[in-house]
Amino acid sequence: MRELLLLALFIPILTGLISMFLVKTVSIKIVNLSGSILTCFVLSSIIYRIGVQGAFCSDMLYVDDLSAVLLSVVAVLTVTSMFFSISYMEKELLDGHITFKMLRRYYGLLNLFIFTMISVLIVENLGLMWVSVEATTLASALLVAFYFNHSALEAAWKYVMVCTVGICLALLGTILLYYAQVNVVGTGVQALSWLELKGIGYQLDPAITKLAFIFILIGYGTKAGLAPMHTWLPDAHSQAPSPVSGLLSGALLSCAIYVIIRNLIVVQQILNGEFLQYLLISFGVFSIGIALPFILVQHDIKRLLAYSSMEHMGIVILGIGLFTPLAIYGALLHIINHAIAKSALFYLAGVITQEYKTKSIMRIKGLISTMPLIGTLFMMAILAITGTPPFNIFISKFTIIWAFFNEGRFILGAGVLLLLAGIFAGMMYYCLAILFSRKPKHKVFSRNVGKPALVSLILSTSLLVVLGLFIPSWLNHILHKAVRIVMGG
Amino acid sequence: MNLLIIILLITSLLLTRVALLKTAVNIILIQSFMVALACGIEGMEAGELHMYIAAILTAIIKVGIIPYALLNMVEKLQYEKEDHPILTVDASSIVACIAIVLAYGLIDQALPGADSRDALATAVAMTLIGLLLIMTRRQAIMQIVGLITMENGIYLVGLSVTKGLPLIIEMGIFFDVLVAVVVLVILTRRLKLSGMSTDISRLKKLKG
Repeated sequence: MRELLLLALFIPILTGLISMFLVKTVSIKIVNLSGSILTCFVLSSIIYRIGVQGAFCSDMLYVDDLSAVLLSVVAVLTVTSMFFSISYMEKELLDGHITFKMLRRYYGLLNLFIFTMISVLIVENLGLMWVSVEATTLASALLVAFYFNHSALEAAWKYVMVCTVGICLALLGTILLYYAQVNVVGTGVQALSWLELKGIGYQLDPAITKLAFIFILIGYGTKAGLAPMHTWLPDAHSQAPSPVSGLLSGALLSCAIYVIIRNLIVVQQILNGEFLQYLLISFGVFSIGIALPFILVQHDIKRLLAYSSMEHMGIVILGIGLFTPLAIYGALLHIINHAIAKSALFYLAGVITQEYKTKSIMRIKGLISTMPLIGTLFMMAILAITGTPPFNIFISKFTIIWAFFNEGRFILGAGVLLLLAGIFAGMMYYCLAILFSRKPKHKVFSRNVGKPALVSLILSTSLLVVLGLFIPSWLNHILHKAVRIVMGG
Repeated sequence: MNLLIIILLITSLLLTRVALLKTAVNIILIQSFMVALACGIEGMEAGELHMYIAAILTAIIKVGIIPYALLNMVEKLQYEKEDHPILTVDASSIVACIAIVLAYGLIDQALPGADSRDALATAVAMTLIGLLLIMTRRQAIMQIVGLITMENGIYLVGLSVTKGLPLIIEMGIFFDVLVAVVVLVILTRRLKLSGMSTDISRLKKLKG
């Protein structure tokens, strides 16, 4: 198991390093495709082993079913984003938007980014987790700034500044948590070890722990795009190359939520449950509420998707905040579902913007007649992300809302439903405008979408449908065990 | 130790008053040196090896590499300086003073009876002043300086409440700080290269 974990860290780094030194586009393609498939394979076997053996701990590495849920997200997204990158970047190269040197840098950074995300999920120590989260910001910052034009630089600057300040606050929180730990057991080798903190959670000083958790939530919440610390999110997501936007939205935001959950497991033992509930639920509702107006009046297709990510992170935090088994089950499932749907949407937006050469929704017209296949997939993905049956997001959203009504929180549940209905209306309005409006007068050169991109798009959309119809028993099993871990079992 | 704390507070207050980028970087150099010294002194008192290593790392990274990279950058930005900060110099000095008072109040509230009250309050004040600089300064370099002040402050919090974090985590943090500054310097350089001003407040294309 230990070897597998090290391998999962090693492969992306190696792939990235090799791509930096290759001289041919074809060889870069082959190396990265095989690298991503290998990474996915290793991650899947880790998940399988967790399913069979349960949690595994060795020195600084630790995985359990909660990590497995997130690892499955990273495993799927590594493959889809890499396959999509191949076609997307080839087209950028052909159109002369980037040079070969930039292509090499792109793959180097992308693999580094994947490496940092995997390391967030498999380290045991809360301090090292902080280090990895900060590393994800830095690796992805240069990807956000990839084109180095005016808006990309603005987005990247905002991204690094806001996230680093946020993450500094999380460091302050982590230090305070360590202080609380030292007060109980003294300085030892087990400093900030998650397992030890979980074991002694009920002995921690409540006042310090409370302060620590507030800082931690604000810090990692910045990274997860919770309002009002979300300001970097729409800019970074809209300026990054599309495959990166998909990873940022699907995997990175989920990793930040994962770190919040890990800290929550420790502090919920000593802190007043009602306080945590109010804190998390208000962040959740606020994120959904802030996203709504921006979705209703949006002019940029990628920003539309970015605000929708914010909304979905709000829903996940709502589910976790309610803190009943049903709600947490829904929230964890929602993380997986959202990652698949949103990454597919960002890839599709990438194809669309490359063909239409604009991100403005007003100027993207008649998609269904210019590109029938892409148009159909886009409609499916939009229907999925807004929570229409029979797609996967319907199941998880429904579970979370159901949990609210189950707990007798009728007003809250109804309010959230109302906000979601507004978001549905906004998203559908723009989706219909893009798909069925009259074809543009100037000719859109609709070239064929590359084969690797088609593979990734069809894989994602079929997962949307499959997970909507049934949840495989192994996934269900892992989710149930993860729920038990979150509840403190 | 008390002398160090006073110098740290003075450097943070001075940072709210400078307009020249070069001066700001030099002040941050002195400040980081004081933090390294504080770390070394703590190490001497506790007699722990890992504190010495942390002190040396701070010296290499925050007193050596980072100021060097920043000064290099500033050389290329001859015409840039912090002319009209969003909050005027006098106002930000006053806000910084309020931050110091606030920091003492906060420490007495949250951690009453902590043995290193002054160091802790200074650390929190530095964090707040760093945040103030990031929010109210227009120049890219000044924002980076604010970020480093904030990091120094948080590092000092760690130093005074728990005698620092375990070495491996601290090394990770140092590495991250270094890379963060490198990334920011790369972005600043690109801004300059593409013929734009390094005045961040002029970057306002992305909205809504």
